[in-house]
Amino acid sequence: MFDSVAPGRVPGRVPGRTAAPASTTPGGRRDPSALAALDDLARRIRPTAASGTRLLPVHPALAPLLPEPGLRRGSAITVTAAPGLEGTLAVAMALVATASTGGSWCAVVGIADLGAVAVDGIGVDLERLAIVPRPGPHWAEAVAELVDGVDVVVVHPPFAPRPAAARRLVARARERQSVLVIVPGRAGWPEPPDVRLTVESSHWEGIERGAGHLRRRRLLVTGGGRRAAGRMRRCELWLPGEDAGPGVAGVAGVAGVAGVAGVAGVAGTSGASEPA
Amino acid sequence: MERLLAVRCPGLIEEDESGGVLRAFDRVVAAVEASCPWVTVVRTGICTLPIRGPARYFGGEHAVVDLVTAAAVEAVEAAAEAVEGGSSVEAVEVGIAEGTFAAVLAARTGTIVEPGGTTAFLAPFPLAVLGERDLADVLARLGITTLGAFAALPERHVLGRFGATGVACHAVATGRSGNLPGLADPGAGRRLHALRHPPPPPDRQPGFWGGASEADARAAQVLTRVQGLLGPDGVLTARLQGGRSPAERARDVPWSARSRAGRSGGTGSQPPWPGAIPPPAPLLVHRDRPAAELVGLDGTAVAVSGRGVLSGEPARLSVAGGPWERIAAWAGPWPTEERWWTRGHRRTARLQVVTAGTARLLVVERGSWQVEATYG
Repeated sequence: MFDSVAPGRVPGRVPGRTAAPASTTPGGRRDPSALAALDDLARRIRPTAASGTRLLPVHPALAPLLPEPGLRRGSAITVTAAPGLEGTLAVAMALVATASTGGSWCAVVGIADLGAVAVDGIGVDLERLAIVPRPGPHWAEAVAELVDGVDVVVVHPPFAPRPAAARRLVARARERQSVLVIVPGRAGWPEPPDVRLTVESSHWEGIERGAGHLRRRRLLVTGGGRRAAGRMRRCELWLPGEDAGPGVAGVAGVAGVAGVAGVAGVAGTSGASEPA
Repeated sequence: MERLLAVRCPGLIEEDESGGVLRAFDRVVAAVEASCPWVTVVRTGICTLPIRGPARYFGGEHAVVDLVTAAAVEAVEAAAEAVEGGSSVEAVEVGIAEGTFAAVLAARTGTIVEPGGTTAFLAPFPLAVLGERDLADVLARLGITTLGAFAALPERHVLGRFGATGVACHAVATGRSGNLPGLADPGAGRRLHALRHPPPPPDRQPGFWGGASEADARAAQVLTRVQGLLGPDGVLTARLQGGRSPAERARDVPWSARSRAGRSGGTGSQPPWPGAIPPPAPLLVHRDRPAAELVGLDGTAVAVSGRGVLSGEPARLSVAGGPWERIAAWAGPWPTEERWWTRGHRRTARLQVVTAGTARLLVVERGSWQVEATYG
């Protein structure tokens, strides 16, 4: 753009509207061979995007909900629930757990009352978990800083996020190759995420009218999103499972078969017991 | 549309193979970021930032322009020797307008466009600034040569004639959008980031042999910055310890680069603590416990006797004066005597209660119920 703007402070060598010169002829139209050269150049000056590190590992119980078998760096994931249901925070923490035990730093922003025993039970490594309990009006700034050095940031915005602020956070996470897991408040989240997880139903087991105690919870979760993530996926999980974090209750068509539930212990991380 | 300040470095728009231009631009971005957060890299050589907050903070838009210009010029000059081709590199253009496209154009012309004046500012520019030659050629034959004349066309005509690209350009010309297709290069930000954080050599095991990993060092840096923003208590880590209630079993401490979080008692499973509620633990442990009302089918309050027995079947629950929720299941009570070794000891009991969507842990003391935790 801007070739023909008269008064620029800088002489002549302004390219067409695409910045990289090789790709543009003076009129601003693309030359395919130059584009190829540009792609080649981009590959050489971008050493990091090595394929193996694009995905952070995710617990096998949750993998069926995602378009890829892991958390794609630079992506934004929202976790919401049908009206009146809990479970979003548990799903968010379960998403983080395997990356965390694999060496990734994680942060939780905006959850003032986070119960560390449960988080540990879900399988998150507390040694690499930073809790920003009450960021107040600075929540977006805090998240913007965190995505710079923390692989996964779980955020529960304490205020209704302005669309521009939300867009900037998503863009920054993409740029810094960090995963943003958003647990929206009542005001929701104004930006369409890459992946959208929704808790559709929730049922606690082990507790009756005056007997037993909470043992495990069966969650029906659906996953959708943009582009490749657009196809709707369904999955039943134990979250928390008995004696561990998440477990597979059933996948897609198998849903509804309580018997599959026994897989609970799949969690396999060093977790003790809890969750939620 | 958001009011943006754009910084454009004409000499740093064409990336070179050695990466020198990208590194020089990185210095500019870092210099601008030092005074204004939220810098967005539009493409190599061009970045923007929302002006509203910084203008308030620094006392006006002109002050921010001066500040940013000085910082950027200094960075460009410092980087100049690294880039071939000398002096043209050193120019920096700064401008303010609404939306990315107009802001970059404002930078090009060194203009601070008045708030609300973006459409008028754009109107006299030739169509060539849109970078769509076919569109410009056709419009020129119709006698339309400026953004203003283009903007005056009804959108449906533009759609019929020029398709989606035409509509996107039209939206930019009318000032409704700042996103000219092809203006932003989303890869530029990633390349800059890659430049700042080169990957560790593959043969190095992060954290192996107990050393701090690359990841730990990077995290430490940003956590320190967040503490700078929110105070030391703004960033916490959790430690687990023995205890009966969920609140007792975890302790939050301000994060510090030297402290280590985690369990105080080894990495095995938690020992069963006498009187503890069986796992799983609740995900939310309330610091400020909301008051609760628990009543039976006949509407009378449910209490726990001195011998740890419920006075009746709980039927409905109201939290913090909210609506009544029907109780689907409950378990307990688990009676405890807390601080039994002191004169001020307290006798409490806990009850797990499940309503339609939520499982809670209630605690009762002297007849008053509170929500101690939610299973989330």
